[in-house]
Amino acid sequence: MSAIAVGATRRSWRPDFWTLVAVGAWAILIVLLLIPLGLVLVSSFRDESGVLTLANWQRLFGSTRYFNAFINTLIVGFGGLAGALLLGSVMAFCMARIQIAGGRFVSMLAILALVSPPFIGAYSWIVLFGSGGIVRQTLMSWGIFMPPIYGVWGILIVFAFKFYPYVYLLTSGALANVNRSLEEAAENLGLTPFQRVLQISFPLVLPALSAGGLLALIHAIADFGTPRLLGRGFNVLATEAYAAYSAEIGSNLGMATTLSLALILMSMVFVFIQRFMSRKNVYHSNLINRPEKIRLRGFANVAAHAAVYVIALGGAMPAIIAAIYSVRKTNGPVFQPGFGLDSYRRIIATLGDVVMNSLMFSGASVLLIVVIGTLIGCLVARRNTAQTSLLDATLMVPYVMPGIVVGVAFIAAFNTPPLVMTGTAAIIILSVFIRRLPYAVRSSAAALRQVGPSMEEAAISLGYSPVQAFLRVTIPLILPGIIAGAMLSFVTAVNELSSSLVLYVGGTITMPVKIYIAINDGDYGTAASLSTILLVLSAGAIYLAFRLLGRDERALL
Amino acid sequence: MAYLTVDGAIKRYGATTALNGVSFSVAKGEFFTLLGPSGCGKTTLLRSIAGFSQLTEGRVDLAGHDLLSVPPHKRDIGMVFQDYAIFPHLTVAENVAFGLKARKVATSEIRGRVAEALATVRLAALADRLPAALSGGQQQRIGIARAMVVKPRLLLMDEPLSNLDAKLRLDLRDEIRAIQRTIGIAAIYVTHDQEEALAISDRICVMDHGCVEQIGTPQQIYGQPATRFVASFVGTMNLLAPAAFGLPEVKGVAQWALRPERLRLAEAGAGAGERGAGNGAASIAGTVEHFSYLGREAHLTVQAQGHRLVAQIGAPPPDLAIEAGRQIRLSFDPADLHGFDAKGRRVQAELAA
Repeated sequence: MSAIAVGATRRSWRPDFWTLVAVGAWAILIVLLLIPLGLVLVSSFRDESGVLTLANWQRLFGSTRYFNAFINTLIVGFGGLAGALLLGSVMAFCMARIQIAGGRFVSMLAILALVSPPFIGAYSWIVLFGSGGIVRQTLMSWGIFMPPIYGVWGILIVFAFKFYPYVYLLTSGALANVNRSLEEAAENLGLTPFQRVLQISFPLVLPALSAGGLLALIHAIADFGTPRLLGRGFNVLATEAYAAYSAEIGSNLGMATTLSLALILMSMVFVFIQRFMSRKNVYHSNLINRPEKIRLRGFANVAAHAAVYVIALGGAMPAIIAAIYSVRKTNGPVFQPGFGLDSYRRIIATLGDVVMNSLMFSGASVLLIVVIGTLIGCLVARRNTAQTSLLDATLMVPYVMPGIVVGVAFIAAFNTPPLVMTGTAAIIILSVFIRRLPYAVRSSAAALRQVGPSMEEAAISLGYSPVQAFLRVTIPLILPGIIAGAMLSFVTAVNELSSSLVLYVGGTITMPVKIYIAINDGDYGTAASLSTILLVLSAGAIYLAFRLLGRDERALL
Repeated sequence: MAYLTVDGAIKRYGATTALNGVSFSVAKGEFFTLLGPSGCGKTTLLRSIAGFSQLTEGRVDLAGHDLLSVPPHKRDIGMVFQDYAIFPHLTVAENVAFGLKARKVATSEIRGRVAEALATVRLAALADRLPAALSGGQQQRIGIARAMVVKPRLLLMDEPLSNLDAKLRLDLRDEIRAIQRTIGIAAIYVTHDQEEALAISDRICVMDHGCVEQIGTPQQIYGQPATRFVASFVGTMNLLAPAAFGLPEVKGVAQWALRPERLRLAEAGAGAGERGAGNGAASIAGTVEHFSYLGREAHLTVQAQGHRLVAQIGAPPPDLAIEAGRQIRLSFDPADLHGFDAKGRRVQAELAA
């Protein structure tokens, strides 16, 4: 049936469903990932006329502009990491070990921070703390000087509040799972509380801390919207790559791809460092004795509550501001005193197709992600061969690819025959698909490892073919996990900005892209109301996922 | 008459050999057990017969036809799993009906056969429950009913009792044997528990390191172990040097082995232990190292001439207590000795006096 009979045995080879899945998976990865990436690599070694050259790389390290962007990316990456670690671990410790009034509300705010549409975060900070920001103006009128939030510090503050949930959600889970007997044993052996935290609790949550920190770091160096809006001359690799690609005059694909590659390499280095660090640090402890939340009194209690609520409200603030601004009265793009539904009316009247685009593209990519991700996940979980390990490793690549890079790579690959897709809906759908595929593969592989192979073997021994056994036994068992995963993929798909920004044309504009354009045009009412629609869609999807999975915020990461 | 034959089964994973030329045959209606320590290849062999693992070399025939060319789902072989593998999303009755549906059995007939199967494993009352709420023993009963109800040509059981607690294990063991006899199906049973194997089997195949050590009835396996491995894996053996305790030198014997229950306490007051001490009994003087009283039997560890011997005293009197350090005499009938050569193979030796 197929010429690619892997591992032919002495018996005649029968067409195997899973072999076909493997062939299909590799075909997808080659067309949508390896060829575009390969072309990015090739393109970075060519100049505008197509001559092989090292000029782009020389410019990256030779010119002050790009070298600064490189350094700046490291600064925002580690700054974002530090901020997220600080806020996230404070939050995690308070929420896991101290009784906080309104704890459920606080963790809801953390989710809100996580799913806030891109850009709106930076914009809301400008609304409050920019040159003409409400808070800044109020403070100035009281005679208190406050610098506007632009520049590197502004970016770092926004990143800290935007990315702390990664650290918080992973670490609070780990903290809640540290067996209390371990801490009691340490106390019993004569360690002071401070020594105990340093020598017992900290090493046990270190894997979670470093995993959360890595997510913050990778998102921080890939983030495009925040430096774009707040940077004011402070440029990073992501913004420079976009600028090199989108410059009206002298668009330089070679430079854009070189910057993209630098960004990927940087992400990969950090992933490997983190993996290396946490390699031997995975602890499994039995949970006979769960930690208890202590009730603080007096000043300590007030301080803990203040810390938790400042962080949670700070993180969710962009979403809250967007919701409030979406119902302000507007006259054209200008806000008027009072409240009204003008912005929503305008969206219904003129931007219906944008909303429809977003829903259709997200729906289509989620469908692809779920079907193909589940199949590949099953393959990876069930067939433990060198080939599937390589597949699994290759799937790590999109995980570290910033959206801008995916966009640039797709332009590089699909702008010329044999496969021309630029300007179509398909290219946007596929770009979201390839970026989110690793998550779906991992979650379905994890779900499947819980089911265990003997279920399917039982069905086969009872007379069902392997495909039937899979459909009748395995699929029903992992279905709740798949649907929950689909909902979470929908959240990322519908909020996807950076790759769409490179790939969109007039007819395929999506809500996040429109928000970006609206903010650049000063049309804040439209931006806020579109953001609010995105938030409502995201919240609905997350609610469904939590209903199916049980409430587990860590599934969102 | 051989019903299932396995001929020269070899399975290699890269450099390691899981099965190294295993051959045996099973008769119709026979209860055949593969016994061995973990990693001996017994589960690999069972899974190869089921079709979940491919042999590197070898033949398997069922009822005169090649089995290995048949895809697993068409082999018509029932399987019972160590972890039960009960479908958690189906009710007890739906689990049992699962294989019948694959065989396109009429709905009315399915109902009757499921009810009958559930009655056989005493689960009729739980037919409409979901399995999650059931105990391990109940889940394994579903597993047995599910495998049996389709009337397969062969029944495979992969350590079906090893996840259950001791009391339940004994009950279910007898039930499995009774059901298998009633249906008259050929069964291959995998276990690492030698007592279970002795209790349940018509014949046992003892395996080690991918090779067959001995195939025989429980009596043959326990009474005439073919190798030193079988002797020490099935039950306990005292291993003695060839010239120990004045035993005569026998050509080829590199080691003697003696069951603990064949050692008798020669000292007065040992009660039941002394009965049946025949003529020509060899005698050993030694120092008691440890004594443990277990109710229906007592164990005695004795140091004698550089050997550490274990003696088992059946039905010890309630007042029996032997303190450590005491000098005692043990006796045994040399006919009870098993001789093994340097390679661990049994040597037939006439030693009766």
